[in-house]
Parts: sequence; C-alpha cells; structure tokens
Amino acid sequence: MANTVIGSSIVIDGEISGDEDLVIQGTVKGKISLRESLFVEGSGVVEADIETQNVEIAGRVTGNIQATDKVELKADCRVVGDVKAPRILIADGASFKGNVDMDVKER
Amino acid sequence: MAAKDLVASGNTVIGPSILISGKLTGDEDLTVRGRVEGELSLTRTLIVEPSGVVKANVTVKNAVVSGVVVGNIQASESVELTHEGRMVGDIRAPRVIIVDGASFRGRVDMGELPPGRSLPERTTPRTQLRPTVRSLPAPPPRPAAATAARPSSAAAVASARKPGGMPGIVRGEPARTPPPVPPAPPVVAAGAKKKVVLKKKK
Repeated sequence: MANTVIGSSIVIDGEISGDEDLVIQGTVKGKISLRESLFVEGSGVVEADIETQNVEIAGRVTGNIQATDKVELKADCRVVGDVKAPRILIADGASFKGNVDMDVKER
Repeated sequence: MAAKDLVASGNTVIGPSILISGKLTGDEDLTVRGRVEGELSLTRTLIVEPSGVVKANVTVKNAVVSGVVVGNIQASESVELTHEGRMVGDIRAPRVIIVDGASFRGRVDMGELPPGRSLPERTTPRTQLRPTVRSLPAPPPRPAAATAARPSSAAAVASARKPGGMPGIVRGEPARTPPPVPPAPPVVAAGAKKKVVLKKKK
C-alpha cells in the first residue's frame, strides 16, 4: 500500500484528511484528520490540530492531538498542546507541554 | 519506520485516500494519487497519477498529468498530458505535450514561438481545405467572412491559437452545411402577413 509522504521541503497550509497512513517530514499547518496512523518524523513540523487513530511523533508538533487509539511521543520530539487518547506513551527524552487526557469512557 | 524512510526520502506522495485542501509549496517532486485542492507550487516536478485529482492553480517546473487537473498550470519547463490525462484550464509553459487520448479544454500559451518551425505545419491543412469550401453553394456573406479569416495564414494562425490552438476546432469550421434558407422564409412571411392583416382588421 502506497503511503502518503509529505517530504521535507514541502509546506502545506490547509487541511489534510484521508483514510491511510500519513508520514510528515515537512511542514503542515492547519488541520489533519485521518482514520489511520500519522507519523511525524524528526524533520517534520506540524502546527495543526490532529485527529487520528494513532500518532507517532519524533518531530515538532504544536496543536491539540486527539487519537482514538494511541499517541506516542518519541525521544527528541517537541510537543506543545493537549493530548487526548486511551493510550499515551511518552518516551525518555521527549519534550512535552500540555494536558494529557486518557479518559477511557470517551470510547 | 526505517523502511518507510528509505522509500520516502526526497519524494512526496499524496496517497489515493488523502485530501489536501489549502496551499501546498515545496522544492521536491510531488506525486499525487489522491486529491489536492487550492494552490500548489513546486520548484520541481508534479506528477498527477491516474487516480489523482488536482483542483488547484499549479505553478511548477514540470507537470505530468495522467489524472485529472482542473485549474491553470504554469510551468517553467514543460507540461505533459498523457493518454490518461484529463484537464480543464489554461496551460502556460514553453513546452506543452498533449498525446493522443488525452482530454483537454482550455488555452495553451507557449510564450514566444521559435520562428519558422510550427507555423508552416499549421498552414498546410488550411490551404488544402480552401477549395472544398469555395465549391459549396454557400450564401453570399459566408465566403466573405471565410476569406477574411483565411488569406494571411500567419494572422489566421495567431487568431486561431488564442482559443486553444487545437487543430480539431479549426477543421470543424468549414464542415458546417449552409442552412436550408430558400423554402422557409416565404411560408413564415405569408403566415405572419395573414395574422397581421387579421389583427389590424379587428
């Protein structure tokens, strides 16, 4: 299955929606809503509200994150915003500022 | 993730189920299999694959359209519509390639033409068509308009280029059959006269 990749020199200002995995190496501003997984890689910069199933963040994210399954903040990531998901993982070395909500009742 | 990095490096792909609406800019090749709406500008090549839909004003270096593009494309190098490509909008690029099977509606602007290359090719079919038009028993105003548009081939080509430069459009012009003028007018006129007379009497 072909993945969607936003390359490192790409800047998107607007809205991204879809039903497949999305890998961000570049910059996205606006809003992202997916029914699959979002990967923000080390070079990725996201200034957007995110709604997905899974998120893995190794880059920078500014905005609120809402996932139906899991949010993973990897080492060296920088995240500012509120995170809401049943499962939230924050690795050693991750930088994070915001609220965490793991309320399972929501599902 | 590691495998993804290897596949992905330096090339952006918009997958078939993805919709991006807004502004997209970049300095690398972009392959669109999904939808992009809004504005798109790249310093490299845009590839719209058969499943891809772009509804945007596009500014790129090269564009290869195998999917659907609605909007204007401005390319600093070339625009190619492949046999699966469908496009509505204007193209502005020094090199424009439209292959057999492609569907296109809009204007093409290739900028300044290299003199003496493309002009003679276009004049030949026009001169061949000329005798067939003259042999037709056309009403008086028609040949006057036709000859006015035809004699200076350079001017005619220039004027024909503006609406799109498609040879198909030009060829369709002389094929028009003259309308069946003679029988119709007297009947209508007679009927009209009678009615008018009756009304006046009342």
